[in-house]
Amino acid sequence: MNRAARRVALALALALGGAACDESLKDIAGPTPDLEPTFSSIQREIFNTTDSSGRQACITCHVAGGPAGFMPLTEGVSYGNLVNRTSPNKLGAVRVIPGDPNNSYLIQKLEGTPGIVGERMPRTSGPFLTEGQISIIRRWIELGANND
Amino acid sequence: MKHFVRHTLLTLALVALGTPLAWAQAQPADEEDPDLEVNVSQPDFTLAELPTNLRLPKGKFAFRVTHRFARPLGEGDFTDLLEDFFGFDSGAQIGLELRYGLFRGAQVGINRTSERTIQFFGQYDLRSQQSFPVGLGVWASMDGTNNFRDSYSPALGLIVSRELGRWGALYAEPIWVNNTNPEPSELTDEDNSSFIVGLGARLRIRPTVYVTAEVSPRVTGYAPGDALISFGVEKRVGGHAFQLNFSNGFGTTMGQIARGGTSNDDWYIGFNITRKFY
Repeated sequence: MNRAARRVALALALALGGAACDESLKDIAGPTPDLEPTFSSIQREIFNTTDSSGRQACITCHVAGGPAGFMPLTEGVSYGNLVNRTSPNKLGAVRVIPGDPNNSYLIQKLEGTPGIVGERMPRTSGPFLTEGQISIIRRWIELGANND
Repeated sequence: MKHFVRHTLLTLALVALGTPLAWAQAQPADEEDPDLEVNVSQPDFTLAELPTNLRLPKGKFAFRVTHRFARPLGEGDFTDLLEDFFGFDSGAQIGLELRYGLFRGAQVGINRTSERTIQFFGQYDLRSQQSFPVGLGVWASMDGTNNFRDSYSPALGLIVSRELGRWGALYAEPIWVNNTNPEPSELTDEDNSSFIVGLGARLRIRPTVYVTAEVSPRVTGYAPGDALISFGVEKRVGGHAFQLNFSNGFGTTMGQIARGGTSNDDWYIGFNITRKFY
């Protein structure tokens, strides 16, 4: 094989080897492409915003004086109402347990896990959060549910 | 990154598809090429999944079909298995592969599996066993899901082979495969790459009959499920090789191989058919 051919082969191998890839968070986030596993992002993209799929913003109901005013999710009060707070509706359930998404009641309500009290959220019978959106919220909890 | 990947795709597509056709017309293959001879120790370009160091003559093509039936062989009792004709009644993951000898010792190809993964690959024979204790080949590939629109997994590795006279060959294949983890890095603490060391053998038990076995353990990095294992029996007939195989997964592209087999002890029947056009 001549030198030029060797160079083509080497360039091809290096191009492939150097093309390190990663899945895009935007692809996972679906109807909220800017959603990240931080509380400020979840507040902005999930609690405050009705997304492009038609999923209702949480604060449509979860607002002081609203139909779910017992758990406001408006900015400034939402974090304190979620992290390490017990649910009044289910004995022993904690809404967000830092580091433990599976046992966080917020995740169970969003996923519609058997055993939840009341309806899966959002209670408008859908659209619900996508699997990707929920996985990003799960990751925020897994990372310690920081007020970041 | 997507732009970069698309450029890489375009380059690969041109190399894998455009260039060979142009070269084929411009440069007729040398009929004296020793690569045209049957290599009885390495009669095919793959074991069940892992590549071998068989050289594809310059300007020639080879085509391969892979079939992995989706029915676990352990499902139900033996009567159920017989009723389903050992799984042949079930759906399958099918792969179609075309490869081309770009120049002496170098081959490129494309492989598409029926769950819409496309893999482009290139392989170059660095050293043959005639001048070195082992045969050495370099492997480079990139596969992408959704018809090469998503989840790109580039791979780079070595194919080390040792022919056992005319009795077959042994293989060790250290290969790095990137982006095997389907989760974005923001959502996981696990590695995004896998480093596999494929180990395999093909033994010639009759003049044209072989048995093959391979395992692709992930020695470091992302390693879901169990390592992909396959074994099979193979018959070479002229330019054809027919292989009946058993695997603990469906993977045939390098990204799929690195992601491993199933972790629930399920085994599946499958076959490979290769046709050399020379």
